[in-house]
Amino acid sequence: MRPATPLLVLTIGQGLAGGITVCLAALMWMGRLAPGEARILVLIALGTAAVGGMGSFFHMHNLKAARYVMRRLKTSWLSREALTTALFGGLLAVLAIWTVLDAAGISSAGYRIVLAITASAGFVAMWVTAMLYATIPAVLSWHTPATVLNFMLVGITSGVGLTAGWVSGAPDLWIGLAIWIPLTAVVKGLHWGHFRRAHGQIRAETGTGLPFSPYRLQDTGTSKPPYRTQTQVWPLIHPALLRIVQLWIVFWLFVVPLGGVLLWQTAGWSGGRWFLPVGALLGVIAERWLFFADATHSSRVFFVDEPRRAPQVPLTGGASRTGNPT
Amino acid sequence: MQLTIITDLNKCVGCKSCQVSCKEHNTSGAFGPVPDDTPYQDPDGMWWNRILTMESGEYPNTSVLYLPKACMHCYDAPCVPVCPTGASFKREDNGVVLVDYDSCIGCQLCMWACPYGVREFDEEAGVVKKCTLCIDRIEDTTLPEHERQPACVQSCPTHARTFGDLDDPNSEVARLVAERQGFGLLPELGARPSVHYLPRRPAPSLLDAETLETAMEERY
Repeated sequence: MRPATPLLVLTIGQGLAGGITVCLAALMWMGRLAPGEARILVLIALGTAAVGGMGSFFHMHNLKAARYVMRRLKTSWLSREALTTALFGGLLAVLAIWTVLDAAGISSAGYRIVLAITASAGFVAMWVTAMLYATIPAVLSWHTPATVLNFMLVGITSGVGLTAGWVSGAPDLWIGLAIWIPLTAVVKGLHWGHFRRAHGQIRAETGTGLPFSPYRLQDTGTSKPPYRTQTQVWPLIHPALLRIVQLWIVFWLFVVPLGGVLLWQTAGWSGGRWFLPVGALLGVIAERWLFFADATHSSRVFFVDEPRRAPQVPLTGGASRTGNPT
Repeated sequence: MQLTIITDLNKCVGCKSCQVSCKEHNTSGAFGPVPDDTPYQDPDGMWWNRILTMESGEYPNTSVLYLPKACMHCYDAPCVPVCPTGASFKREDNGVVLVDYDSCIGCQLCMWACPYGVREFDEEAGVVKKCTLCIDRIEDTTLPEHERQPACVQSCPTHARTFGDLDDPNSEVARLVAERQGFGLLPELGARPSVHYLPRRPAPSLLDAETLETAMEERY
């Protein structure tokens, strides 16, 4: 799958905004948030949501038709995503205006209720976006409940990570992170396992009706990488690059934030909390890129060979041949 | 009614005349929807009908397959319900899956939902396009009856492609599918494609000279 920049911006921005808002609501209800911190975090959440919203606009290539985008609420998860994300963004904007204009009102019950509703809207928006990806059977890598779990957990982990940099007096947040980050890592591992299995689900027997394998593509039908007009496929990622990106994600999304938590809690170094937003941002960008770039679409059977094997024919003569029978 | 195309894989010789005639008709036809801005560069642009060439098996038992692949006009087209604007739709009267370019926002979700990778994104117009089964030809009553069929069917030099109504048990396409065990691609994904292919007959196995001589001696 081609990792389109607007999609990366949209899903990352929405996840961060949702995660921050959920975290903010939890801290507010526990009475662990100072008004000054709340103000900064609401504005950051609004900023990330706005960036995500801009991403969604750039992903539409024919804006004249944008007014029809909620026509298919009954069947289309994208219609539902437009509705829930817009609702979340609107509520967040109201919350931000309230936060800026009425600083004293932050500790009021009304503000808490609006914050809770906004956090719920953020949670639902993230869930709807995750369902959009998980309900496409043709994208074999995504068609699993692990996709929904992954979206929710990564969104909230990155949002909480971003929150942690600006919250000084919330010990519960660190305890939560120490549980939340390993949980997200486990789900991410399961998700990657599903991605690997999806690679093996490409079947020439049903894709082409060929009765026997292996098959070799001699002509992909006047198409070639990076498949300009067919964005559902993408050249296979080299295994070495895949390993590097996965290590990057594990390091920045899980190891660095956990290290920050440990430094803060055990060594008493308050600077450790800044590891969390940095790690969350660098990790989630790579995570989302890989989510798209490594996704296997069922139509890949028409674009990519089965793995090449050495020739089975006994070789004769002085010169020995090795490698692929191309 | 479900209009469809049946391709006999025994007759297809991979000449790509259907691919070219599709491009020609849809680029220069009444609507001109297939962009062709750089025709003299590498031909990796938009094609609604692509012919794959595959070699299968291991030496000496290898064979080559030509697979014309365009929109399958599925009974349960997965590209239709995912479309947020309703631009992708399936016509009730003839089963053809079409795209309304005026409503398409170019989000490409239908391209992800299509199991066959037959939808194409037009970077110029910012919308998704695909095979229309030459809807402008098959519904053009000014054309002679025998010309009211898709360009790819009409141009096939070996008559490998047959056009008709799959839901009519007396039609040629329904008969071919029933009698020749026509199959659809990727049935495990549940789209129920209406486009079918007639399977190739197995090629005779190769005999070495000694076996051949023995067989001939026994027979004659």
